Amino acid sequence: MDFELTDEQQLIREAVREFAETEIAPIAAELDRDHRFPAELIPKLSGLNLMGMPYPEKAGGAGADYVSYVIAIEEISRACASTGIIVSAHTSLATWPVYKFGTEAQHDRYLADMASGRRLGAFALTEPAAGTDAGAGTATAVRSGGEYVLNGTKMFITNAPYAEVYIVFAKTDPAQGTRGMSAFIVEKDTPGFSVGEAEHKLGIRGSSTPPIYFADCHIPADALLGGEGNGFRVAMATLDGGRIGVSAQALGIAQAALDASVAYAKERVQFGKPIATLQAIQWMIADMATQVDAARLLVYRAASCVDNGRPYSTEGAMAKLFASETATRVADRAIQIHGGYGYTESYPVERNYRDAKITELYEGTSEAQRMVISRSYLR
Amino acid sequence: MRIVIAYKWTCDPEEATVRPDGTVDWSRAKPGISTYDPVATELARRLAEEAGAELIGVTVGAKGVGAPLASKAALGRGLDRVVIVEDDSLAEAGRSELAAVLAGVIWHIGEVDLVITGDSSVDVAAKMVPTVLAGELGWPAVAEVTAVTGQAGKLRVERAIPGGVQVLEITGPAVLAASADAAVPRVPGMKELLAAAKKPVELLDLAALTVPAPGAVMTVTSRSRPDRKARKGQLLDTADPAAAAAELVAALRGAGVL
Repeated sequence: MDFELTDEQQLIREAVREFAETEIAPIAAELDRDHRFPAELIPKLSGLNLMGMPYPEKAGGAGADYVSYVIAIEEISRACASTGIIVSAHTSLATWPVYKFGTEAQHDRYLADMASGRRLGAFALTEPAAGTDAGAGTATAVRSGGEYVLNGTKMFITNAPYAEVYIVFAKTDPAQGTRGMSAFIVEKDTPGFSVGEAEHKLGIRGSSTPPIYFADCHIPADALLGGEGNGFRVAMATLDGGRIGVSAQALGIAQAALDASVAYAKERVQFGKPIATLQAIQWMIADMATQVDAARLLVYRAASCVDNGRPYSTEGAMAKLFASETATRVADRAIQIHGGYGYTESYPVERNYRDAKITELYEGTSEAQRMVISRSYLR
Repeated sequence: MRIVIAYKWTCDPEEATVRPDGTVDWSRAKPGISTYDPVATELARRLAEEAGAELIGVTVGAKGVGAPLASKAALGRGLDRVVIVEDDSLAEAGRSELAAVLAGVIWHIGEVDLVITGDSSVDVAAKMVPTVLAGELGWPAVAEVTAVTGQAGKLRVERAIPGGVQVLEITGPAVLAASADAAVPRVPGMKELLAAAKKPVELLDLAALTVPAPGAVMTVTSRSRPDRKARKGQLLDTADPAAAAAELVAALRGAGVL
């Protein structure tokens, strides 16, 4: 078993860190404070081939392995968790279903633009009354001649309204429950498709997550993605991979909080010496570092399963469960180490703390991950 | 045009620690391309984009400089190929010796129009190699270069001088040392990094290379730490600045400093 990164993975980490530290970190606090989507970063991320890393070059991507991709998400998120989820949601949730389930015509129309980052994507599954119970969605898609007519509301749609391509899930046969759900590719500015007010969130405030509405939205029949009635399968398969991206985001947040805590503990002097000399702080750092490292191993292992063509549903769920809860714990301890200063905006750990929580919630709550994991063990 | 970028694969002293006996422990320092060498690469890439050029990375040193990671790190920054001399006899080589070996490599490559180096290496910071190299090649050397444009045989070079910018026109091959702040190196893209493994790497045998003979041999015979003078730790009361100044002058005179 080789725990070392390949040369390429090491160089990718260094390059993404260099970009994150020079271009993303300097604006992270401002994005958070102003609830601002970093539109100016998208072409830069795209220019470095960071918006479709795991897709083949001939499809417009970078042709990188999945471990490299999660390393990139981790490094981006270490600088700014909002930017991390923008990239992850675009790459794993929006581009992947087009890559995996798209027809040749859909590939021709969308894949190169999405895998290169020229067109930003979004994934629209969640509804006001359908979160973890995704199959309970009530959005409908009624076939009418050569079209489908969409009606319904989707909530918390990462990258809306900046995205141009939306993967939308709606019931073509509501009586069939999850088997009656279908997936569609819907383009921005389609009549009948509108975007609501931005949500004001606890964290990842630079990530735009408004509701989107469909009111008699006519889309061509060839917008159907993956076959009628296959939508739930498309959604679940997509989320299996998406949660590895979120686990990498959580890892980046945790690492940022740990780094800040180590630096602060070495500088902060109390009782005549740095608090890093106090056992209470040393043990906190030891626990934080161990948990972050354990999270890293789970995240990279899940990504490695993808690279080796092995099943990764359980491994991805374990990675997300552990990494997200680690991020929350480590960010909490980071504020504790920083004391009163950690509670202010003068130090980044309060942002880490607020950003961390969402990783336990979206793309499958921790409870949903436990369902996935326990099912694989108890069947 | 053929441009050689001389780079160094070395460790950042910030990651090293000093042992109680004064020797440096490099064991925790991760090797990488010397900090200012990517600036040189950036200047070379801009010139190549303007005039068309082959970009060749060159490095010489002890075991490790020819490691795949080192080559990929250089190639991933936009170089077309790298040429390397990796020989343990260079582990303790001085600046003049390294410059002589670099000259040998440049003669081996042939028809080189321009050599660009970083301002200095992050570990030694001697700022000598570009000039000594130019001397060995018989070419002009220009330091503190902030921009280079033009084409082979007619280069326009800008360099920072105190209070301004000097512009030079160079009609033949030259060695340019890029100023540390001449440019912000572009971050390598993912495709560039992944393509690096496919680019040519040429490993040269030092023994087979034609290297200028040294004019003299230098050997380090000893190293010592300077004596530490005990600090007096004398504090002056500055409530009355004039009186404090007089007290300071008297103290410095008493210590033989003034």
